[in-house]
Amino acid sequence: MQRTAVLFAALAALALSLPATAQKAVTLNVVTAGDQNMVDYLKDYLGPMFEKEHPGVTVKAVGTGPGDAGSQKIYEKLEAEKANPAWDIDVAVIHQKAAGEMVGKGLLARYSAEIPTGKLVTSEAAKNALGSDVGGYVMPMFNSQTAIAYNTAMVSDPPATYDALEKWVRVNPKKFGYNGIKGGMSGVSFVVGWIYAHSPDTDRLIKGPYDPDTKKSWVPILAELAAFNKNVVLTPGNAGTLDMLNRGEIAMGPVWVDMFYTWQSDGKIPPGVKLKLIGPGMPGQPMYYVVPTKAANAKLAEDFIALATSPKVQADGIVKRFNWYPGIDTAAVKPQLDEASWSKLFVDVTPEDLATKGKPFPLAPYFNDILESYERKVQ
Amino acid sequence: MRAERSNLGDCRLGILLLVAPALAMVLALFVYPLGMSLVSAFTAKDGKPTLENFAKAFALYGLDIVFTLVIVTVSTVLIGLLTAAIGGYLVLGAHPVAVAVLKSLYRWPLFIPFIVAAQCMRTFLAKNGIMNNTLAALGLVDVGSLSGLLDWRGIIVTFVWKETPFVALLVSGAMAALDRATIEAAANLGAGGLRILVEIILPQVAGVMLVGLVLAFVTMLSVLSVPIMISGGSPTMITVDMAFRVNSYSDYGVANALGFVSYAMAGLAAWVYLRRSVAHGSPL
Repeated sequence: MQRTAVLFAALAALALSLPATAQKAVTLNVVTAGDQNMVDYLKDYLGPMFEKEHPGVTVKAVGTGPGDAGSQKIYEKLEAEKANPAWDIDVAVIHQKAAGEMVGKGLLARYSAEIPTGKLVTSEAAKNALGSDVGGYVMPMFNSQTAIAYNTAMVSDPPATYDALEKWVRVNPKKFGYNGIKGGMSGVSFVVGWIYAHSPDTDRLIKGPYDPDTKKSWVPILAELAAFNKNVVLTPGNAGTLDMLNRGEIAMGPVWVDMFYTWQSDGKIPPGVKLKLIGPGMPGQPMYYVVPTKAANAKLAEDFIALATSPKVQADGIVKRFNWYPGIDTAAVKPQLDEASWSKLFVDVTPEDLATKGKPFPLAPYFNDILESYERKVQ
Repeated sequence: MRAERSNLGDCRLGILLLVAPALAMVLALFVYPLGMSLVSAFTAKDGKPTLENFAKAFALYGLDIVFTLVIVTVSTVLIGLLTAAIGGYLVLGAHPVAVAVLKSLYRWPLFIPFIVAAQCMRTFLAKNGIMNNTLAALGLVDVGSLSGLLDWRGIIVTFVWKETPFVALLVSGAMAALDRATIEAAANLGAGGLRILVEIILPQVAGVMLVGLVLAFVTMLSVLSVPIMISGGSPTMITVDMAFRVNSYSDYGVANALGFVSYAMAGLAAWVYLRRSVAHGSPL
C-alpha cells in the first residue's frame, strides 16, 4: 500500500514538473522536403549553430522526403491543421510548386521584409515560383541546377546542345541514361529542357500567359523524345543515374550539380566525371525557407531564417560544405569565401553558363502539361 | 429463467465490449479510409460524381495495370515453385547437414524490409553489379556482353527473394506436420523424391500453400519501393503511378481510381482466401 502511495507521489511530481520544464525550453520545429543532405544540413550544421546563439532553444529537424512529394506532405499537414490556433511547424523548407500553392491558400506568412537579410535577395526566383507571386513569403535557401555529367574516360568531346546530344546518342546507343519523370527531378529537368530546346516559344512556357492548347504543338517533339529513349538507358532515380555513372554502365546522364559534387567529394563518383550545362538550357530551382501563417514560434523562426540566409552561413554552409549555389545574391556571398572554394563550384559550369543556360522550370500548369504529355506520348 | 436471460444479456454485452476495440480500430483505420478513397475515385475536382478518373487511369496506365498483374502473378508462381522445393527438401532431404543449413538460411529475407532488399538488389543486379562481376571473375561470362537486370526482371527477382521465405515458413510447417507414414509407404514402394513431393506431399499441403501465396500476392501488389528503386523504365507498377499522381499533380482522384483497380485485384485474391477459410473453418 505504502509502495503504491510512493509510486503515485512520484508520478504526480513527474506530471507537475513536465509543463514547467516545457515552458522554459522552446523547441523550434524545422521541417524540410528534399534528400537526406537537407536534414543533415539542418541537424548537423545550422541547428547547433542556432542553438548556441539562442540558449534554451532546441532545433528539431525533420525530413519529409525528396522531390515535390516531400513538399506536398508539408502542404497537406498545414492544410489539415488549418483550423488549429497554432501550427506545429515553425520553419519549412519547400520546393517552388508547393510554395505557389501554399501562398494561394494563405498558409504562409509574409515575413521576408521583417528580417535583415531580406534585402540581400533580389533574384527573380525569390518573387516568382512557377508563375505564382511569392514575393515576401519566401527566402531562397539555395539555388540548384541540373547539368549533364559525363565520364571523360568514355567521352572526350561531350555534346554542347540537346541537338548534338541527340546525334551522339544515335551513334552511341545505351551510353546515355536518365531517370524518366517518375524517379526524381533530374529526369524531369532533362525532359523539360528537351521541350525548351524544341519548342518555338520557350519564354511563354516560363513567363506565360498559359494556353492549354500549347501542349498540342509538343506532339512531334515528344515523338522525337520517344525515338531518343529507344537508345538510352532509363535509370532508377537521381541516385540511380549517379550509380550507373560510377559503375561505368553509362557515359553520360543528367544530374543535380550539388548532389554530383557531394558524391564526388565522398568518393562515390570518379574524379574523371565532369559536368556540362548543355544549350539552349536546362532547368534548376531554388528551395525556399517559409514560415507558416500560424507558426507557434514565428519570431524565433524569423531569427532562424535570418541566420540561415546570412552571407556567412550561405558561404560556409551552402557553398563550401554542401556545394549548392547561394540563395541570396552572390555579390553578398563572394567576399565571405576564399577564391579556391568559390571557383570550385564554378569549374565545370561557369557563371556565364548559369546566366545563359540555367533556366527556371515552366509555369505550374505548363509543367503539369509537360509531365502528362510525356506520360501519354513517350512512355 | 429470468436470471438466465439476464446472464445471457450480460454475456452478449461482454462479447460486444470485447470486440469493440478491435472493431473500432478496423472501422477507423481501414473501413473509413477505404470508403474515403472509393468516394474520391468517383468524384471530380469540382465535387460532382464522375467516371473521368477511371477513364484517365485506363488511358494513361492501362499497360501498367496489365504489367502489375503479370509481374505479381509470375512472382507468385515462382514463389510457389521455390516454396515446394524448399519445403520438399526439408522433409525429404537425405543429407542432414544440407537440411540444417537450408533450414537456418531460408528464413533470413523474411526479416529484411522491402526497401532494404531493393537497395541491395540495385547494386547486386546492375550491369556492372556484384552478380555480373562475380560471374565474370569466375570466368563464366563476359560482362561486356551482359545486360543488367534492373528492369521488370529485377522486380520479380526481388519479390521472389523477399516473399518466398514467408510462404515457405507456412508450407514447411504444414509439411512437417504431415503423417510421415504416407511418405514412407510411397518410398517403400519405390517412389522417387520428386514423385513423393508432387503426388503425396503437395496435395496434402495445397490449402496452406494457397493461403500463403494469396497473402504474398496481396503484399507484392502494394509495394512501392521495389519498382521505384529497381526499374526506371516503363511500363511500371501502378503503385509508382499512384505516388506520381499525388506527388506531381496533387491528383487524388486518378490515384484513387488506380487504388480501386488495386483493390479489385486484391479482392479477387481475398475471395480465394475467404472461400478456403470458410470451407475448412480454419483461420489460415
